[in-house]
Amino acid sequence: MKSDIRHPKAEPEEQPAVTRRQFLRNGARAAALTGLGGLAAIVASRSAAKGTVWQIDPQKCVRCGNCATACVLEQSAVKCVHAFAICGYCQLCTGYFEPEPNDLNTGAENCLCPTAAIKRTYVEDPYYEYTIDERLCIGCAKCVEGCNRFGNGSLFLQVRHDRCVSCNECAISKVCAGDAFRRVPADQPYLLKTTSH
Amino acid sequence: MKNRDRNITRRRFLRETAGGAGLLTVGSGTFAASVGLAGAASVGKDPNPFAYDVERLRKTDPKLIHYEQIGRFAGLSPDPRRIVIGPEDRVYIAAGNGVSVLDREGTRINSIDLGTAARCVAVAGDGTIYAGARDHVEVFDSKGKRLATWDSPGKRTWFTGLAVGGNDVFAADAGNRVVLRYEKSGKLAGRIGEKNKERNIPGLIMPSPYLDVKVGHDGLLRVNNTGRHRVEAYTPSGDLELSWGKPTSAIEGFCGCCNPVGLAMLPDGRHVTCEKGLPRVKVYSPEGVFQSVVAGAESFVENAKATFVKGTEDCRLGGLDAAVDSQQRIYILDLVANDVRVMKHKA
Amino acid sequence: MRAETRSPIPGAGKPNPDGRSPKFELRRRWIWFLWGVLLLVLSASVAVAEHRFPPPDFETGHQLPVTTTRPARAVWFQYLDVAVLAASLGMANWLIYKRRSRKGLIVLSIFSVLYFGFWRKGCICAIGSLQNVSLALCDRSYAVPVGVVAFFLLPLALALFAGRSFCAAVCPHGALQDLVLLKPVKVPAWLEQPLSVLPYIYLGAGVLFSATGSAFIICQYDPFVPIFRMSGRGLMVLSGAALLLLGVFVGRPYCRFLCPYGALLKLGAIVAKWRVRVTPDYCTQCRLCEASCPFGAMREPQSSPAGAQALVKDRQRLAWMLALLPVLLAGGGWLGHQLGAPASRLHPTVSLADQLVRAEGVAPKFGALSPDDLALERARQEPKEILTEAAGIRHKFDLGGWIFGAWVGLVIGTKLISLSVRRKRTDYEPDRGECFACARCFEYCPNELVRRGLMPAAAPVEGGVARSGPASATVGGSSV
Repeated sequence: MKSDIRHPKAEPEEQPAVTRRQFLRNGARAAALTGLGGLAAIVASRSAAKGTVWQIDPQKCVRCGNCATACVLEQSAVKCVHAFAICGYCQLCTGYFEPEPNDLNTGAENCLCPTAAIKRTYVEDPYYEYTIDERLCIGCAKCVEGCNRFGNGSLFLQVRHDRCVSCNECAISKVCAGDAFRRVPADQPYLLKTTSH
Repeated sequence: MKNRDRNITRRRFLRETAGGAGLLTVGSGTFAASVGLAGAASVGKDPNPFAYDVERLRKTDPKLIHYEQIGRFAGLSPDPRRIVIGPEDRVYIAAGNGVSVLDREGTRINSIDLGTAARCVAVAGDGTIYAGARDHVEVFDSKGKRLATWDSPGKRTWFTGLAVGGNDVFAADAGNRVVLRYEKSGKLAGRIGEKNKERNIPGLIMPSPYLDVKVGHDGLLRVNNTGRHRVEAYTPSGDLELSWGKPTSAIEGFCGCCNPVGLAMLPDGRHVTCEKGLPRVKVYSPEGVFQSVVAGAESFVENAKATFVKGTEDCRLGGLDAAVDSQQRIYILDLVANDVRVMKHKA
Repeated sequence: MRAETRSPIPGAGKPNPDGRSPKFELRRRWIWFLWGVLLLVLSASVAVAEHRFPPPDFETGHQLPVTTTRPARAVWFQYLDVAVLAASLGMANWLIYKRRSRKGLIVLSIFSVLYFGFWRKGCICAIGSLQNVSLALCDRSYAVPVGVVAFFLLPLALALFAGRSFCAAVCPHGALQDLVLLKPVKVPAWLEQPLSVLPYIYLGAGVLFSATGSAFIICQYDPFVPIFRMSGRGLMVLSGAALLLLGVFVGRPYCRFLCPYGALLKLGAIVAKWRVRVTPDYCTQCRLCEASCPFGAMREPQSSPAGAQALVKDRQRLAWMLALLPVLLAGGGWLGHQLGAPASRLHPTVSLADQLVRAEGVAPKFGALSPDDLALERARQEPKEILTEAAGIRHKFDLGGWIFGAWVGLVIGTKLISLSVRRKRTDYEPDRGECFACARCFEYCPNELVRRGLMPAAAPVEGGVARSGPASATVGGSSV
C-alpha cells in the first residue's frame, strides 16, 4: 500500500500534496460511497429481515405438470401434500384410482400415480387413508387433478423446503401456467389448504 | 506470453478492434438467441405427459339422450346451491344469502333474504318456504315474511337438502351424516339414515356436503348416499326400504368418488340424478335401472372448467341440481355457470 | 449492516429500548412464541373446522395424521453467510496487501469454492444480488432480504478502498476459474477490447430485466451454479463445463468478459484508495513482471509521445471520440427503444397477454391441455387484469429500452475514449480496474523476493533510472 515510495536514486521533485488525479479519484470515491449509501438506505427501507422462499398457492395451481420437469433439481422439490382434515377417506378415491379402475385394489394398473407414491391403507369400512411417500413423488399433479375434479381437493402441490435450494428466481415459477408461485416469509414457508378447493 | 509488438499503429489497432467487436456481436447474439429460444420453446407447448384425461368419458351416446332443451335463463344471485319447484310451477333457487323466486321463464317474482348463506330450500303445497342455512332452518310464508327460526340441532350441522312431505319437513344434515325429521312446528321428531346394525342400515357416507333428500310420490324418502354411490329409499320412520346404484364412470353408474349430488323425483317414481366431476343428469327407473340421459357431460362447458373458478370455499366444486315441475319438465341448475336449463322429454 | 443482538426468533427485530436485560427479553419472547404456537395449533384444529366440512367420525377412534411442514433454512443462516463473506473479504485483503501471499489466496479460494460454491450451491451470490437490488428499487411490493443487500454492498464498498479483492479469492465463480487456470494464453488486444465491453452490456440487460420484474437473466444464464448445484438445465451445465475448460487456458473468461457485478467492481476499483502493486516498495522497471499477469492486466510504463505531431493527432482522435459520444448515446437509446417491445416478451405476463389477444375468438379447449393452453384458459378468466398489467410492463420497457440503449452507447463511447487517451505511467503496475488481486505477479518482482528473504538485497543499479522515458531506453535491464 505504500504507493509513494520512490526509487532511492530518483531525483527529488516537487510533488504537490495532492495531485489532480488523486483529488479527482477521492471525489469520485466519495460520490460513489454516497451513492451506495443512498441506495442502501432506499433498499433497506424496503427490505425484509427474514428471507423469503418460494411456495405454491394451491388455490391458483392448475395442475399443468411443469413442476415435475422445470425444477433445477433432478427430483423436483415440489411434492404432493395431503390435507388430511379435508379428505373424504373414500373407498373409491379419484386421486388414487384411474378414472375406470379394474378393481378397487392397490394393483398398479388401477393406480393413477405414475410412481406409485400414494399409499392406501384401510381404516374401517368404508374408509381408507391415503398418504404420500415423498421419496417417490415427482410432483406431476396427476393425483391433484383427480382429487380436485371429482373429490374434495385434499391433495395439492407444495414446495418442500427440506429439498428446495431456494433459487433467487425459481425456474418453475417462470413457467407456472397458473401463476401460482410467490415468495413467502421463510418462517412460514407453507401455504396449506384449510378449506377445500 | 510473447512480447507484444509495440509498433502497432493506433489506426490498425482501432480497425482490428472494430472487427473484433463486429464478430463478437454476431457471436454473442447468436448464442443468446439460441439459448433463449431453446429455453422458451421447450417448456409449455408440449402436452403434459402426466395429464389426467377423462375426455373419452365426456362424450355421451346421442341415442341415450331423451331430453331436449326448451329454455334457459340465468340465476339472479351468485353462488347457487339448490333448486326446487313449488306450487304454480314457481322456481325457488337457494343462492347466495337467500332464496330467489322466479317464474318458468326466469323472471324474478320475489327474493327472500336469509342473512346468511342459504344452502337448501323446500316449498310446501301451501307455499310455505323452508330455507336451510348451514346450521338451522328458517320458515317463511309464500310472500317471503319470516315465520319462524328453528333451533340448530348441534355441532357439525351442515344442511344441504330439504324436503316437505305430509306434515313433516326433512332436513338433510351432511355434517352429521343424518336426515332429520322435523314436525312443521320445528320440533325434532326423528333421525333417519344413521348407521344401525339391527335395522340393517349401513349409514350415510358423506365425503363432501351434498346430501339431498326428496319425498317421492310413494311417500318414501329418497336420499343420496354419495360415499357409497347409492340412492337409498327410507320410510319416514327410518326404515331402509331399497337402495340402488353402482360406482362407475360409465353412463349407467355414478362417477367419481361421491355422487350423485342431487336428486329429483318424477311423478311416476322415476329418479332424476345429478352428478359432479363429470356433470350429467340422468333418469333411472323406480327400481334404479338406468333409463336415459337428460343432459350429458359435453353439454356443461363451464362446469368442465370448474377447477378454475375462484371463491369456491366450502367443498362446493361444480355440480348440478335438478327439479321437476308439474308438466314433468326437468329444470337443471348449473352451479358454476349459474343458470337454469329447462329440459323437456323429446317427442 | 450494524451488528445488532438479534434473537433467533424471526421478526423479533429491534432490541428492547426499556433497558431490560437481554436475557429476560429473550425468555419473555420465547414464552410469547410458545403461546403463539399453541394458539395456532389449537385454532387450526378447532376454529378453522368451523368453516370446513367435518371429516368422517371414525368409530375406531382413528386419529387423523398431520400434514408435515418441514421448515426452510433458518433465518440466522443468512446472517452467518454475511459474516463469512465479511470475514473472507477481510482475510483476502490481509493476504493481498499485508502478507502478499499467493499461497494464502489459493487456500482462501479453495475455501470459497467449497463454502460459497458447493455448500451454499452458489446461491446466494453477489453477482445475482444486483438484480434483487434493482428490483427492490423499482418494485415497491418486493422486500429484498437483508442478507442479499449485504452481499451486494460489502464487496462494492470494499472495492472503493481496496480494489477487486472480492474477485481474488472470495467469489466462488472467480475462485473456481482461478483454480483451474493452468496454461494461460494471452487474448489478443483486438479481441479483448470489444469483449471487455460485454460485462457492462450484460449489467445493463440484467438491471433492465430485473427492474421490470421480467426475469433474473444473470441467475438464469449463470454457467457455474449448475456445476455447484450438480444439476440444472443441460445447456447451462454444458456451457459451464465449456467455460471452465476455456478457463484452463484463457484466464477467468467469465470474470473478464461476462461478469456484470465485475463491471461494477471495476468502476469501484478505478477510484480505489489503495491499489495492488507488484513491488512491495519501488519499481526498477526490470520488466520481469511484464508477462506475469495471466489476465492481461499488467501495464507498462508509458510516456508522452516524442513529437508535437503525434500529440496533435492524439488530441484530434480524442476530440472525435468525445464528439462521437452524444451520437452514440442518442443512437443507442433509439435502438434500445426499438428493442424494448420484443424484449418485453421475456416477461411471462406480457407473453401471456399476447397469447390472449391472438386467441380471441378461438373456442376454449378441453381435455388434457398443455401448460400453455392451461395458462391461456386461466388467463381468459381474468383478461382485463392481465392486459392492464402487460400494458404497464410494456410501458416500463419503453422507458427502460431508452435507458439501456443509452447506457450501451455510453459504454462503447467511453471505451473508445479510453482507447484514445494516453496514460502517463512510470512503473509496471496492474490496471486498477482489471487486476483481480490474485497475487500471481508478486513473485516475479525481485524486490518482493528480497522482502520474502528469498534473495539477498543488492546495491542499487549504477547510472540511475530513467523515470519518464520509455522503458526500452537505457538501464532497467540488468538489476540484480
